[in-house]
Amino acid sequence: MATSTSPETKSASWWNYFFLYDGSKVKEEGDPTRAGICYFYPSQTVLDRQELLCGQIAGVVRCVSDLSGSPPTLIRLRRLKFAVKAEEDYLWVLGCAVELPDTSCKQFLDQLIGFFNFYNGPVSLAYKNHSQEELSLQWDTFIEQVLKNTGDLHKIFNSLWNLDKTKVEPLLLLKAALILQTCQRTPHVLAGCILYKGLIVSTQLTPSLTAKILLHRPAPLDQRLPAAGDATQDPGASFPPNVQITPVFLTEEEAASLHEFPVEQMPRPARLQDSTARRLAKDWSTSALKKEAAWARMSATTPGPVYPDRVWPNGKTENGHFPAGEVEDWGPTGLHTTAKGQVPGLSCFLHQGPGFLQEETDLSEIHIAEAQEGGASSGHCALLQVYAPGDRGLHLKDSVRDANHLEPVPPEGMATGCPHPSSSLDVLAQNGAREQHEDLPGTSSYTPVPGTDPCPTQPSGPPSPHPDPEQRGSELLSGHQGVDQQVDGVGESLAATGLECVSDSADSQGDGPSADRADSRLSPVGGPRLVQLNLYTHSVKGLVLSLLAEAPLLRDSTAIEEVYHSSLASLNGLEVHLKETLPRDQAGSTAGTYSFVHHDHIQNVLTANLPPVASAQDRHFLQAVSLMHSDFAQRPTLYEMTVRNASTAVYACCSPAQETYFQPLMAASRSSGFPNPQDGAFSLAGKAKQKLLKHGVNLL
Amino acid sequence: MKCVSVATEGAEILFYWTDEEFEESLRLKFGHSENEAEELPALEDQLSTLLAPVIISSMTMLEKLSDTYTCFSTENSNYLYVLHLFGECLFIAINGDHTESEGDLRRKLCVLKYLFEVHFGLVTMDGQLIRKELRPPDLGQRAQMWAHFQSLLWTYSRLREEEQSFAVEAVERLIHPQLCELCIETLERYVVEAINSSPSRGGEEALHAFLLVHSKLLAFYSSHTASSLRPADLLALILLVQDLHPSEHTVEEDGDAQPSPQRRPWSSQNIPMQQPRNPRTSDQTKDSPSGTQDTDSFSLPEEYFTPAPSPGEQSSGSTIWLEVAPSAVPQVAEDTLQMLAPHSSVPPSPRRIFLDASVKDNYCPLVPHTMYCLPLWPGISMVLLTKSPSTPLALVLYQLLDGFSLLEKKLKEGQEAGSALRSQPLVGDLRQRMDKFVKNRGGQEIQSTWLEFKSKAFSRTEPGSAWELLQVCGKLKRQLCAIYRLTFLSTAPSRGGPHLPQSLLDRAQRLMRERLLDWKDFLLVKSRRNITMVSYLEDFPGLVHFIYVDRTTGQMVAPSLNNSEKTSSELGKGPLAAFVKAKVWALIQMARRYLQKGYTTLLSHDGDFCCSYFLWFENDMGYKLQMIEVPVLSDDSVPIGVLGGDYYRKLLRYYSKSHPAEAVRCYELLALHLSVIPTDLLVQQASQLARRLSEASRVPLP
Repeated sequence: MATSTSPETKSASWWNYFFLYDGSKVKEEGDPTRAGICYFYPSQTVLDRQELLCGQIAGVVRCVSDLSGSPPTLIRLRRLKFAVKAEEDYLWVLGCAVELPDTSCKQFLDQLIGFFNFYNGPVSLAYKNHSQEELSLQWDTFIEQVLKNTGDLHKIFNSLWNLDKTKVEPLLLLKAALILQTCQRTPHVLAGCILYKGLIVSTQLTPSLTAKILLHRPAPLDQRLPAAGDATQDPGASFPPNVQITPVFLTEEEAASLHEFPVEQMPRPARLQDSTARRLAKDWSTSALKKEAAWARMSATTPGPVYPDRVWPNGKTENGHFPAGEVEDWGPTGLHTTAKGQVPGLSCFLHQGPGFLQEETDLSEIHIAEAQEGGASSGHCALLQVYAPGDRGLHLKDSVRDANHLEPVPPEGMATGCPHPSSSLDVLAQNGAREQHEDLPGTSSYTPVPGTDPCPTQPSGPPSPHPDPEQRGSELLSGHQGVDQQVDGVGESLAATGLECVSDSADSQGDGPSADRADSRLSPVGGPRLVQLNLYTHSVKGLVLSLLAEAPLLRDSTAIEEVYHSSLASLNGLEVHLKETLPRDQAGSTAGTYSFVHHDHIQNVLTANLPPVASAQDRHFLQAVSLMHSDFAQRPTLYEMTVRNASTAVYACCSPAQETYFQPLMAASRSSGFPNPQDGAFSLAGKAKQKLLKHGVNLL
Repeated sequence: MKCVSVATEGAEILFYWTDEEFEESLRLKFGHSENEAEELPALEDQLSTLLAPVIISSMTMLEKLSDTYTCFSTENSNYLYVLHLFGECLFIAINGDHTESEGDLRRKLCVLKYLFEVHFGLVTMDGQLIRKELRPPDLGQRAQMWAHFQSLLWTYSRLREEEQSFAVEAVERLIHPQLCELCIETLERYVVEAINSSPSRGGEEALHAFLLVHSKLLAFYSSHTASSLRPADLLALILLVQDLHPSEHTVEEDGDAQPSPQRRPWSSQNIPMQQPRNPRTSDQTKDSPSGTQDTDSFSLPEEYFTPAPSPGEQSSGSTIWLEVAPSAVPQVAEDTLQMLAPHSSVPPSPRRIFLDASVKDNYCPLVPHTMYCLPLWPGISMVLLTKSPSTPLALVLYQLLDGFSLLEKKLKEGQEAGSALRSQPLVGDLRQRMDKFVKNRGGQEIQSTWLEFKSKAFSRTEPGSAWELLQVCGKLKRQLCAIYRLTFLSTAPSRGGPHLPQSLLDRAQRLMRERLLDWKDFLLVKSRRNITMVSYLEDFPGLVHFIYVDRTTGQMVAPSLNNSEKTSSELGKGPLAAFVKAKVWALIQMARRYLQKGYTTLLSHDGDFCCSYFLWFENDMGYKLQMIEVPVLSDDSVPIGVLGGDYYRKLLRYYSKSHPAEAVRCYELLALHLSVIPTDLLVQQASQLARRLSEASRVPLP
C-alpha cells in the first residue's frame, strides 16, 4: 500500500473544495455559519470564504429541496461544480473543476463519504465520539490519497488501481487468489483482497469495497485502537507482527454481498435480479483471468468436505466461547443438535456450507438454516450491529460490551428461541427458519444442497428441485432481508419477535440503559445503515493482505494465528515474485502508434497505454473519452461511436461488460470534414479490433 | 413540470411561464402551508418567494466569488434547473419531467432573451427600462405582456418538438421553383413596389416580403435598398407568425392528443384583468370541450381568419380547409378562436420588431422594423417588413451605446481615468459623436449629464475617479436607452404609431390571394410532402432519414417527417414514425453536443440505427476546405444554434480568419441509416447524398 510521508495535502487544480457542514448547529438567526463547519478542505481557505460557500450552498440546497422535493446532487457554477449529498442535517459538498465530468464529481464525493463511513462509522456517531481535529486528520489523509492516486483516466472512470495483468505472470495471480481462498477457511474470515504497492493483485470483494481498502493507509495500531472500543482490550489483543485488525463499517449491501458469497451458486432467481450482474460476477471472480476464476470456484468448494472436521473443533473447544451444551440449549426446538454442533465454525463459513453439507446429506436445508443461524447468533454477538446515522445515542463499544456481557449467561429470553439480543438478524433468520420448518415438514427428506455446488463433478446439477424453500433459507442467511426488516418494520409481525427478544433479555439483565440502547438501535431512521466488521491487514513489505472478517475475530487469537500462519509463507513468496517481475516491466511501456483505454465494468478496472504525463494528443483523447463515456452511460442502446475533429479521431465501443476507446497516433490528416469513405477515421473499428488483441482486449 | 422565470437581482419577477403541472405543484405547496380560506398569493409572488433564495445567493456568489450558478440537478436529473444571467436579469428554467435536457433549457432561455430583444430592441440593455417594459405597473397590461411571451414560448416549444426546421434552427423552403418564381414576381411588383410607390405610405418603406406555408418558406423578396435578413431573424419571424396563426397541422395534432400540455391555457387568474383582451387568459372554461364552445366555433372562424373584405374567397378557403381535416374542426375552430380573438381588440399587426440590418453600410443590431402579417388562408401567410424614416437614429443610438459600453468595460477592468483615458481613440470618437448627437436632438437631461461626464473625463485639473466616471457612464447609457425607447417603442405602430394604411395592405393581400388561389390546396399538401424519402431510397438503400443544412444561408433540406394520425408519411403513422422522429431529434442533440466540444464528425451505432453527422466548409466554387479546430465551448455557454445566439455565424467568421481571401460556406449533414449498412458504404452514401443536395441547391432558386 502506498504510504505517503508528507502530511500536507497538495491541492490539485481539479479538486477545489471539500466540506462537511452540520446544519443542525446553525438553526437560529444568530448562529454563525462557522459553527456548522465540521471539516473544510483546503484548510488554509479564509474563514470568510468557507462561510460563504457553506452558507450559500446550504441555502441553495434547502431552496431546491423545497421546490423539487429532493436536494440537488449537483450544483454547477461557471468555473466550479459541486457534488452535493445531503443526509439529515449533514451536508457533504465536493467542489471540482468544471472540466471534470458530472458523474465523476458525484462519484468522488460518494467515494469520500464511503471511506469515512467505512473507517469511522456513521458521521453523526463519529463526530460524537471523536474530536474534530482527529477526524479532520483522517479527512486530510483520505483526500491526500485520492489526489495522489488519481490520474486523468481515473478521474473519468473512478476506477480502481490494479496491476497490469499483462505484465504479471498469470500463475502469480492464481497464487494470490489461492491465498485468499485459504484464508477464507479460517473462522470468521469472509473475504478479502491482496494489494501490491497500492495496486490490486487479487480481490474477492465488490469494487466499492476494494476501493475503500485500497485507499486505507494503515495507521499506527495505538491510533486505530480507540475506535475499536473496549472489546479490543481483550486478552487476545497482541497480534502477530505486521498484522492489524481494525473495525470497519460496511453498508448493508456490502455486508450482504459478503454473505452472498456461498449462496451465489444456488439458483436464486429473485436475488439474481436484485443484484446486478456486476456484483454477481464480482463476488466470484478474482482479478485473475476468467479461467482462473472458474478454477478458483472449484477449488473454493472442493476443500469443503474436509473442513468441518478440521475446523469446528477448533472453533468450539479452543475458543471455548460456546460449549456444545449451551448451544444445544439455545436451540429453539432442540431438534437439530447435529447441525448445531457444527455451529461455531460454520457461522463464519456460511459460504462453505454446501461443501460441509454434502456430508450431512440427511439434513434438510431447514437444519442448515437453523444451524447457521444458531452459529451466527452464538458466535457473533457483535457480528451485525446495525446502525442508523441518526442514532446519536448509540455507542459501538457499548453494544460490544453488552454482547460480551450477556454471553455467558443464558438469559430467559433465550428460552423463547432468541439466543442473543445483539443480533436480531439472527433472530429473524431463526424465525424464518422455524416458520419454514413448520410450513414444510416434509422437506427434511433432503433438498439437494450439492446442487449449490458448481463443481461439475457433483452428481446433481444446479437447478434445485425445491427452489422455493431454498431461496427463502438462503435469503435469510444472507442477512440482508433480516436487517431490512429489523430496521424498517419495528412494528411488523416478523420483526416483532426479534424485538421482544431484545427487550426480554435486556430486562432479564436488569440493565436499563442497555434496553434503551437496544431501542435506539432498532428505531428506524433513514439513511444508509452500517454494519460493523473487522478488517484484518497483514503487510509484507509492499504486499498487503486485507481480509474482512466478522467481529469475533478480534478476540479469537487462534483464528488470527491461523490466518497468519496459513498465509505468511505464500505472501512472502508472492511478494518476492512480484518484486522481481514488476519493476522490470514498468519501463516497458513504449510509445506506440495508438492509445487505448479499456474499462472493465465488472471489476471497475482499467487497462490503458497512456503515458503518465499527457501530451496534447492524449488530452484530446481524454476529452473524447470523457464525453463518450457519459454518453454510453446515458444511452443504453448506444454501442459504438467514432468522433473526429481536426486533430484526432477516436473510436469507442461499449458492451454491458466493458468500454473500449481507441485513438490512432498518426499525424492529423489534412482532410476536409466532408464524408469520405477513404477517410481513416471510419476504419478505426477494424484497426482497434486488430491492435488491441495483444493487450488482452477482445473486441471481435 | 416546466417553468421559466425572469427575475431582477432583487428577486422581482419580470416574467414567468409555467405549465399546469408546475402550477399545480405550487398550489399544493402554498395551499398546505396557508390557511385554506385565504386566497393564495399570486403565482408570480409564489415564484418570487420560492426562487428568492436562489436568486439572491446567485447574486451574492457573483459579488463575492465572481462566479455564479449555471445549473442544478437533483438525483437522476429528476429536476433540472438552468440559470443564465443576461445583464442584470437572471433567467431560470426548471424542468421536472425529464423531457428537456440542460441544453434544451438553456436554449429556451436564450431564445426567450432573443425574443425580448426582437420586441424591445436595445432597451434590453438597460435593466431598469426593460423592467418597465416587461413588468408594467398596470396589472392588465402586465398580464397581456406576459401572456404574449408565454404564448410565444409555447409556440417555440411546439415548433422545436414538431418541426425539423426548428429542431436544427434553419429555414425550410418549399421546393417548387416555378411557383416560387411566380410568387417572387408578385411580391416584387404587386407588394413591395406597389407599396413603395404609393403616396399614402407615409414615411414607411417596404423592405422585405415573404410567403409562408405553415412554417415553410415559399418565397422571399427583398427590395434593392434592403440589407439581407439574417437566418435567425427570419426564423424568429416565422415563430411570430406561427404564434399569430398556428398552422392547422398542430391544431389537428392537439385535437388528437387530448392532454397535450402545450396548448393548454395557462391561468393567469391571479392577476386581475382590467380588460379581458386575451381570451386565452380570461377564458378559463376552455379546458372543457363543451358544446357551448363548439357552437361558437363553427360560426366564428371565417370572421376571424379573413378580416379582408372578400367574402367569396374567404368562404371557399374555409370550406376547403374544413375538408382537409373535418374531424378536427371543433378543436381547430376553438383554437383558432383562441388565437385570433385577442387581435380583434389588439391588432396582431402591425407590430414593432427589431432585427439586425445594415444602415448606411454600417452593421447595426436591433434596427426597428414594422411587421405586417397578412393571412391569406389558414396555413398560408404573407409577411411584410417595413422600416420607418427614423431608422438612422437607431444606428446613432447603437453606436453611442456601444461606445459607452466599451468605455464602461475598460473602466471596470481598472484602466486609469484621466489622461490615459482621454488619449484613447475610442473616447475621442465617442466624444465627437456624442457632441453631435446632443447638439442635434438632445434634451435637457442628457445635455447636463453629458456635460457632467465631459467635466469628469476630460478635465485636466480635477479628473473624476473611475468609479465616478462609471456612474455617469451608466446614467448616460440609461438616458440614451430612454430616448431609444421613446422613439421606437412608445410610438410603436401597435401603440398607434405611424404605419401603412390598411387599404394598401388589403390590396396587397387581395392581389396575392388572387395569384395563389389555384395553388392554395396544392401548397397546403406540398408543405406536408415537401420532399419525400421515396425519391432517395433507390439510390441510397439503407438510408432512413437525413437533414442537410446550408449554414451560410441558414436553410435546410430534409424529407418530411410527419407522425400525426391524419397525415401519414412513408414511414407510416404512429409508433414507427414517432420512433424515427425521436431518433432524429436525439441525433440532432448529440451532434450539437459534440460540436460544442469541437467535434465536427460523428458516427454512432445506436440500436438498429447508425447515426452520422458531418460538418464541413466549402468555398464558393464548391471546393471542400480543410478542417480546422473548432472552439471548445463550456457547458454553460450559449447553446449551439441560431435563434438564441447565432453560433454558425460566429463559426464562419472564425473560419474566415484563416481563409481571408475566400468566401467560406458551412454545411452540415445528419443521416440516419440502418445499422446493417457497413460503415464504408454508409460514408460513401453520405458523400453522394451531400453532393446531390448541394447540386440541387446550387440551381438558383429564383
